[in-house]
Amino acid sequence: MNEKKIIEPKGVDVANGEENVQAKKIVQLIDVAKSFDGEIILDHINLDVYEKEFITLLGPSGCGKTTTLRIIAGFVTPDTGDVLFEDARINDLPPHKRHVNTVFQKYALFPHLNVYENIAFALRLKKVSEEEIYERVEEMLAMVNLRGFEKKDVNLLSGGQQQRVAIARALINKPKVLLLDEPLGALDLKLRKDMQNELKNIQRKTGITFVYVTHDQEEALSMSDTVVVMADGKIQQIGTPTDIYNEPQNAFVADFIGESNIIDGVMLDDYKVRFSGHEFDCLDKGFGRNEAVDVVVRPEDVDVVPLDKGMLNGVVTSVTFKGVHYEIIVSIKDFKWMIQSTDYVEVGQNIGVYVEPDAIHIMKKSEYSNMFGDYSSFSDELEHLSDATEEEE
Amino acid sequence: MTKKKLSFRTLCIILTFVFLYMPIGVLVLYSFNAGDSTAVFKGFSFKWYIELFNDTATLNALKNTLVLAILSSVISTIIGTAAAYGISKMKNKYIKNATMSATQIPMINPEIVTGISMMLLFVFVAKLINSTSFLGFWTVLIAHITFNLPYVILLVLPKFKEMDKSLPEAALDLGCTPLQSFFKVELPAIMPGIVAGFIMAFTLSIDDFVISYFTTGSGFETLPIRIYSMTKKRVTPDMYALSTLIFITILVLLLISNLADNKNKIELSKKTKKVLKIVGGSVFGTIGIATIIILCISATTEVKTVNVYNWGEYISDGGDDTLDVNKEFEKWAEEYYKSQGKKVRVQVNYTTYASNEDLYAKIANGAGGYDIIIPSDYMLEKMKEEGHLQPLDSSKIPNLKYLDTQFENMFVYERTETGENGEKTTINDRYGVPYTYGVVGIVYNGAELLENAPEILAHIESGNAGWEVMFGIPKRDANGNFVYDSEGKMILDMDDPENKKFNESYLKLKGQVLQFNNPRDAFGAAMYYLDVDVNNPTQEDWRAVYGLLAMQKNYVGGYVMDEIYNKMENGAAWLAAYYAGDCLSMMGENSDLDFFYPVNEEGYHQTNIFADAMCIPAKADENNLELAYMYINFMMEEEIASANAEYIYYACPYTHVINSDDYKINMGYYEYLYSNDGEILEDDEGNYRLKLDANGNPIYDPEGDYAVIYYDFKTPKVDDPNTPEIDFMLPIDYMFERYMYKDLTNVMLTLNDGTEISQLNMLNHKWEQLKVQSTSMIGIYITCGIIAILIVGFIVYSIIIKRKRRKLYWNNTPTPKAKKREDADPDLSDTTLVAIGKAKKREK
Repeated sequence: MNEKKIIEPKGVDVANGEENVQAKKIVQLIDVAKSFDGEIILDHINLDVYEKEFITLLGPSGCGKTTTLRIIAGFVTPDTGDVLFEDARINDLPPHKRHVNTVFQKYALFPHLNVYENIAFALRLKKVSEEEIYERVEEMLAMVNLRGFEKKDVNLLSGGQQQRVAIARALINKPKVLLLDEPLGALDLKLRKDMQNELKNIQRKTGITFVYVTHDQEEALSMSDTVVVMADGKIQQIGTPTDIYNEPQNAFVADFIGESNIIDGVMLDDYKVRFSGHEFDCLDKGFGRNEAVDVVVRPEDVDVVPLDKGMLNGVVTSVTFKGVHYEIIVSIKDFKWMIQSTDYVEVGQNIGVYVEPDAIHIMKKSEYSNMFGDYSSFSDELEHLSDATEEEE
Repeated sequence: MTKKKLSFRTLCIILTFVFLYMPIGVLVLYSFNAGDSTAVFKGFSFKWYIELFNDTATLNALKNTLVLAILSSVISTIIGTAAAYGISKMKNKYIKNATMSATQIPMINPEIVTGISMMLLFVFVAKLINSTSFLGFWTVLIAHITFNLPYVILLVLPKFKEMDKSLPEAALDLGCTPLQSFFKVELPAIMPGIVAGFIMAFTLSIDDFVISYFTTGSGFETLPIRIYSMTKKRVTPDMYALSTLIFITILVLLLISNLADNKNKIELSKKTKKVLKIVGGSVFGTIGIATIIILCISATTEVKTVNVYNWGEYISDGGDDTLDVNKEFEKWAEEYYKSQGKKVRVQVNYTTYASNEDLYAKIANGAGGYDIIIPSDYMLEKMKEEGHLQPLDSSKIPNLKYLDTQFENMFVYERTETGENGEKTTINDRYGVPYTYGVVGIVYNGAELLENAPEILAHIESGNAGWEVMFGIPKRDANGNFVYDSEGKMILDMDDPENKKFNESYLKLKGQVLQFNNPRDAFGAAMYYLDVDVNNPTQEDWRAVYGLLAMQKNYVGGYVMDEIYNKMENGAAWLAAYYAGDCLSMMGENSDLDFFYPVNEEGYHQTNIFADAMCIPAKADENNLELAYMYINFMMEEEIASANAEYIYYACPYTHVINSDDYKINMGYYEYLYSNDGEILEDDEGNYRLKLDANGNPIYDPEGDYAVIYYDFKTPKVDDPNTPEIDFMLPIDYMFERYMYKDLTNVMLTLNDGTEISQLNMLNHKWEQLKVQSTSMIGIYITCGIIAILIVGFIVYSIIIKRKRRKLYWNNTPTPKAKKREDADPDLSDTTLVAIGKAKKREK
């Protein structure tokens, strides 16, 4: 697999494997478990957060990501396991004594204070002098582009502006770690993209470790140095965005991160896999002979070719125009594939598909096998539902 | 179409507001009425507002109401907020809902049910702890807190629910301890709810009548209760003034709280402004319309008025099928003017006061507008001396010829005038026409005494009871001198076995004894008891009477004037000194009540005798003088004076009345009730009835004079000390000399250190001392004051802090123009955006 060819997003320089080894661990969760009312929320997870890292906890509703965040913030005490902060155990340290600040999902701005006073709140508690407060608040306001908003009533600000105030308020304490709990969830799409950039920018400027919780995989991929995919109270995979996308460890990850066709296959030999009745070359090795595996093929990696040139043939069952490309559902050997192509095809048309060896990713079978990756019942609506805002408690 | 619909809607709104605000508009308007009438608007004036601030009883009630409102609303706001906090943090939904419903039930409960149940509870508890004087300020306070609580919870709870659940977490996160988080974040966040709850509780408490009425005891009167008790007689226009002030205060409070709540929306939209215009226009329009209508009505006929200021319950007012004397006068005077060929509407504006001192306060403070006032003897003298009265023109009062000879010279004062040639002529000026006269006695509830203090009842019925039943017997040392405690109070005698026995019985009356709420009568009672000269006591005497009253204060249920009617008639108090005629009125309402004159150790009656007289104030309106004289003369008509005497049970000083059979029969009724030696007739139902002669005519006491109700008044005769038992009226000069209060203004008291002080100042000084030396209420006022100061202080402090904090950024930074949409967010261009790109596509 030609990993080195991946385009590294500019600026994501801390996250690569080798450097991580040297970076200092700032937060460690060791064998942490938590359950509410007999329901297991976190199932013995282990997680290391490194200094200056932008780490994202990604997963569907109820996967335990917010609980993880709250354990770090101190609002939730784990049932078992240890929480370490700079190598010191902080399980029983109350939130106000931790060097950690949080940006809440609904901002939680103090309605009785104006913008300036909201941001100055933490400093006032520390009895910092008025002059210093002024300096630092102005600095923060400049950073979040809200200069001139000092006197504004926070209740009258737009969502984006409230978000910036919340970030400034959390950052003024110069925390070592900033926790962000789906901070962009309530914003509309365009604003969200802007804020993603801005957040990333702020993180880079301040060098503060960001622990970011989201259920939006695109957000996670575009902003993070490290992505932690969680499901059912367990960590499914930890890695760089490219790792996560290109080398999903199981069907859940493959499905959750982007669109995936996940097909049952059999590993014939190193670099040889058989699925859908056809033998393919691939770049994976190290599986047992004739081992049953899950094969992942990303929709954008499937090429539509004339019938005679196709490695597989199928009938088009639906075509949806998506702007950049068409989303085509093709039935191949009773398995519905999703293909993203810029070429238009007719419904009912017989087409051939072509898959390059590097487009094939082989995964070991897991508890999530056969649960995902088939587009026979696909609809936008269902997709949307599974992304519903997380409400864990 | 739309246009038409809109205007119809506007009309509907206007009509609603007219309907809602018409009554208040009329009230506000009449509070500025120069006249006293409810029907005629005579011009704009602040007179009722001035009156209001001279009416001590009302001001006292207002003070009580405010103290009660502040304390109850503060306490219920604190408890209610705590309760709402607790409820909002409840985890179990079912318990939470049940708790919420349970707190709201008392709100739906009718007030009367709450009031009666609270009263029952308090009476029950009082029985448990064996206390008789339990009802009062504290019970009303508890009741008010109770009924305010649900409203506070109702208003605060939603704020807790609305509050972002992560607010406290955000506070903790930023470094607050849990306690700081509550006070710095959660509390301010729900503050609008708390303020609304407080204001709601405050207004409810001020407004409440029913619950206060049931839970208050003697001596604690709130404003609504006072206004209500006035409706028994007549609501005076100063009540309109008071209601207007309350209405405006509440309005201002409401506006403030609304503005505070909507401070975010202060930039009013056009629509809001329109609505405000409609609302404001309607309110003021309503008041305007009311003004015009009333002015139109009053402009049609000429109106003559006479403003009479009299004691409460001191005229036949038409209640219980009696003659309405004022109405009769209006009719009579209108007829009179008609016979003169004039069409005039005559209006008697009749208002009342509770004591001579109240009357004096008004007149002396320059409250004009009274044409006739009816002060008592000593007060008349004082007012005359100070020039508040004008001499009467006897020729305009032809009925003066009916004045009994014994009263002929009363209230007539000599004056020497030097003529042009230096010759001196003596002129006799009459300043008052006697209206009635009477005696102070002690009224008691026989049934209650029989049950609770039979020894006292037996003592009274022995006929030898004196003032000791009001005061108890104070302790004396071996030399016969009174013993005082460190505060100058006397001490009940518990050493002498007989005195101890009596005092133990007296203690059973604790809280059930009522004392006069005016200095002259209260100190007078003590002076008669200690056999002190009521018109010239020495310094030692003052010390003694003060000590006696101060001791009594621990046992009285209240200092009262007109309130005594309620208290005695419904059994809320058992024993009180009061004016005989009023006592007889009370006895007419409650057959358990009885009455006696206190006697001294020698067995002579020793109490105050008084005469009240009609006077014309110096400041009376000249245009009303004619009518004022007509009124005085009219009051002396036989029919009218008889009606008054029968209604108010005071003795009448007019001969034609005294000698009329009607009067004798009606007043004679009471002879048989209270005769010591005469025959008392009872019918089968236990009602007293008149003794009839063979022809079926009632027999009145042949010995008895016109003043039959005051017969049998034992007093040492000055001429012949050996004839102690004399007719009440005979030695009137002596009696007035000995038993009547005189003006103390110019009677000087020489203190032991040689300085001189007016006896009146001494009296007032001692009275203040007595009233101020209050035990519980002072603490309450202080608490109230502290609470108010704390609240104001906190507000000021937070404003100062806010200002101080603002200093750095408030004026330094430009305010950006209000942005309307989110996409108009501040420009992002200066942020160096790094295209992270979409790592979705990977390179092939």
